[in-house]
Amino acid sequence: MFGLIGHSTNFDEARAKARSLGFEEFAEGSLDMWCSAPPQLVERLELTSPGGRTVEGAYIDSCFVPEMLSRFKTARRKVLSAMELAQKSGLDITALGGFTSIIFENFNLLKEQQIRSTTLEWQRFTTGNTHTAWVICRQVETNAPRLGIDLRHASVAVVGATGDIGSAVCRWLSQRTGVRELLLVARQQQPLLDLQRELGGGRILGLDEALPQADVVVWVASLPQTLSIEVASLKSPCLMIDGGYPKNLDSKANGAGIHVLKGGIVEFFSDITWQMMEMAEMANPSRQMFACFAEAILLEFEGIHTNFSWGRNNITLDKMDLIGAASLRHGFEALSLLPDSSAALATA
Amino acid sequence: MSGPPAADRLPDFSSELYKDAYSRINAIVIEGEQEAHDNYISIGTLIPDQAEELARLARMEIKHMKGFTACAKNLGVAADMPFAKKFFAPLHDNFQKALAEGKVVTCLLTQAILIEAFAISAYHIYIPVADPFARKITEGVVKDEYTHLNYGQQWLKANLETCREELEQANRANLPLVRTMLEQVASDAAVLQMDQEDLMADFLSSYQEALLDVGLTSREIARLAAAALVG
Repeated sequence: MFGLIGHSTNFDEARAKARSLGFEEFAEGSLDMWCSAPPQLVERLELTSPGGRTVEGAYIDSCFVPEMLSRFKTARRKVLSAMELAQKSGLDITALGGFTSIIFENFNLLKEQQIRSTTLEWQRFTTGNTHTAWVICRQVETNAPRLGIDLRHASVAVVGATGDIGSAVCRWLSQRTGVRELLLVARQQQPLLDLQRELGGGRILGLDEALPQADVVVWVASLPQTLSIEVASLKSPCLMIDGGYPKNLDSKANGAGIHVLKGGIVEFFSDITWQMMEMAEMANPSRQMFACFAEAILLEFEGIHTNFSWGRNNITLDKMDLIGAASLRHGFEALSLLPDSSAALATA
Repeated sequence: MSGPPAADRLPDFSSELYKDAYSRINAIVIEGEQEAHDNYISIGTLIPDQAEELARLARMEIKHMKGFTACAKNLGVAADMPFAKKFFAPLHDNFQKALAEGKVVTCLLTQAILIEAFAISAYHIYIPVADPFARKITEGVVKDEYTHLNYGQQWLKANLETCREELEQANRANLPLVRTMLEQVASDAAVLQMDQEDLMADFLSSYQEALLDVGLTSREIARLAAAALVG
């Protein structure tokens, strides 16, 4: 059985979701109450691949909301308790979605393997980052040509290049796509230099320098509230893949010739009976989901019960090949620009 | 997002502030174990075929009580027993009333689920911040308490269909008391570096887990838990 650990995008949405799922009392509760609330296994799911193989799984809501990010102990407890519930529910491979994997990594929760009487078995969990990275690369490869951007002549900026997903994207783009030039953007200098050495290329630039030179921008960093993008200085066309979390790039960059595509989102080939994605602002919630969630589903389809994506900078091209092939085989497709993309997406 | 705080520091176990807070928290634990002993013996009178097993559980509670008494002695603290008696009075009275009415389900939910789930989560949170002597004792106790929680779970699970309604009533009458009790000792617990939100959250996790095992759905449990959380 696969598992998905998720959370609502904000507190108001969490309350609305609680109400729609029949947790009336939670819907009435204050943020303090939500801080104490235990995680909930809210849905059981079933998916059948195009080949006719059926897998079962469950969705666990960690009862975390981003409003709790400033409360370190609360955030830590929410993530660990949700993982404990997944393990105790017998889920073999569970993906950490949204902020849960970010909290896990930033707060170094690998040190916290013991939660109450449970020793967390790391092999039951995956960040889902390998599939997310593969999907983002595919989104670049498929959508750039549609806008008339030839990757062989293009500059691709990766914002958040040194992160787990960002570095994997850089590796793939430089070795598999023949991109003319990679522009590496991240906050810390030393990891950038290390990455540049590993890639054997790429230019290290500040965000403001990189954006006007980029035909494609891959965002895999969370965007600061205060960030503003000088839209007039961007190239036209410019493909922007919004692979960060939360996905709010379309509010920062829109205008003629700028095509923002939600990154790291996949669509399943048939409808899934679940309620959880409706609130995650998916355009087609019965089929679309985060690629990290899909990774747990793929690992279940493949019978690979191991922490496939784990730790930082462990994503190899071989692993991306493996998960990518599984993704295609089991009926997932990376989200693409709509045919009339300039109208539908760029002006979102 | 800021990272975790710097290296965890243990409280100063010899400070007057710590000892003062400990005199009440330790007394509650001692009184709790004594009440647990008495309650299991009492429940045995309602289900005589279980009396022997319940007496066995009760004996473990007395052993725990002695362990925690030693913890206070080790720190040179006198447990404030009058405070603890008063602290437990509302829950004690509810239990005695249910006992007099022969309500097995209420008695079991109160002692074997509510109190045990609370004790387990509180002990888990205490262990990392306890003095080395108390830490060892508490680690031993927590293992036993799982047996007790499990006893209540098994009985209620086997009898769920006939006791659902009484479970709800018993929950409504007693769960809010647990929250009130927690609030009463929040500041003392904080001196021991036990966080009130952690205590409540871990208690609710244990409580939810026990009731899931009994056979209630997560929606039913959320409704029950809300009795303690909302308002």
